[in-house]
Amino acid sequence: MNQAAQLDNAISCQGLHLALGGTPVLQGIDLALPAGAVVGLVGRNGAGKSTLMRALLGLSPPSQGHSQVLGRASTHINDPTREQLGYASQTGDLLTWLTVWQHVEYIGSFYPRWQAAQAHALCQRLQLDERKKVSALSVGDQQKLALVLALAHDPDLLVLDEPVASLDPVSRRDFMRLLFEGDAQRSQPRTVLLSSHLLTDLERVVSHIVFMRDGRVQLQGAWDELQDQLRQVDLPAGSPPLAGTLHQRSLGGGGQRVLVDARLAGSLPQQARALALEDLFVELNA
Amino acid sequence: MQLDIAPHDTVPIYRQIVDQVRRQVVGGSLKPGDELPSVRTLANTHAINPMTVSRAYGLLEAEGLLERRRGLGMVVAQAPAPQPDQRLALLAPALQAAARQARELGVGSDEAVALFKHCLADLPLAE
Repeated sequence: MNQAAQLDNAISCQGLHLALGGTPVLQGIDLALPAGAVVGLVGRNGAGKSTLMRALLGLSPPSQGHSQVLGRASTHINDPTREQLGYASQTGDLLTWLTVWQHVEYIGSFYPRWQAAQAHALCQRLQLDERKKVSALSVGDQQKLALVLALAHDPDLLVLDEPVASLDPVSRRDFMRLLFEGDAQRSQPRTVLLSSHLLTDLERVVSHIVFMRDGRVQLQGAWDELQDQLRQVDLPAGSPPLAGTLHQRSLGGGGQRVLVDARLAGSLPQQARALALEDLFVELNA
Repeated sequence: MQLDIAPHDTVPIYRQIVDQVRRQVVGGSLKPGDELPSVRTLANTHAINPMTVSRAYGLLEAEGLLERRRGLGMVVAQAPAPQPDQRLALLAPALQAAARQARELGVGSDEAVALFKHCLADLPLAE
């Protein structure tokens, strides 16, 4: 992929392979995600989502292939690029003996663009008691802190691994709003890569979706387009195959449930139905 | 402006916005000159991606239903009075979907029509 194309994409990779302890976890990942995209990374536990995020950020080296973030090779991220990245891992990577306030001040010292006042204000909005030590915070509050630390230096690329798993629905809504805050002042909207099992939440905010299964990408694309193009059809036993079939599985009684690209399938049977994100997830992981 | 966003609906969110604004303009609950909420406000209210709202507004502007006014943002455009047919054409898809469901459930035509009248009667009076 040439340099220019890499810069248009905030996240890209080519043939990424990664093994952990001898077990293949990423088995040939190709991605091309444009700047300003909000990308939902979905897949069952063990599909390789966290590992992919770590590889993209240069935290885990691949065994094969290449990846780039914000125009830099993941394995060669320099300080200026690092300052543009924000990451919240699933476990939060917090220092248990520090208070919330100390975390904000400590992490802030690493980033020239850190807005201490904003970070503290964010803690207030998320109702985080800044005097509390991390060890005394609930899991949900620890997640909120991890988010503040990822966001407060206003990164161009935000990578969030299951950021809202322990948050209640109201907090999750607020979190969605937070993702877009400050976009009006930016020359380019922030790029976000987030993994989550809360698909109804993702549906509100994603512009793109990447489905992973067993270390591979099954499907990726702009979510509006995928929704417009993909249809599910149940075919009775003995039916001829449909053009544009992306995925199929057997139903009891010899029939097949088929996922088709409607643009290629020609005329579809009456019962072809459009899919919500959760439906698509279930089909791709059946 | 009242908007109902159902993210898990199989209709993409941008299209839900376009359809609802269109219906409200054609139906008269949104009148020429009425201001629409800004992209940021609408996105924030419903906790959705501002690009989605932007896209919907862009499509409505291209259609001529909305226009951009300096200092006001998006405003309902001046338009000729809607034809009765246009309103019925916009209602048709929802009724076709309901008709299919009625057929699947084995609900007869008379019963279905009676139910629809009941639903209409239940709604609060339009302003």
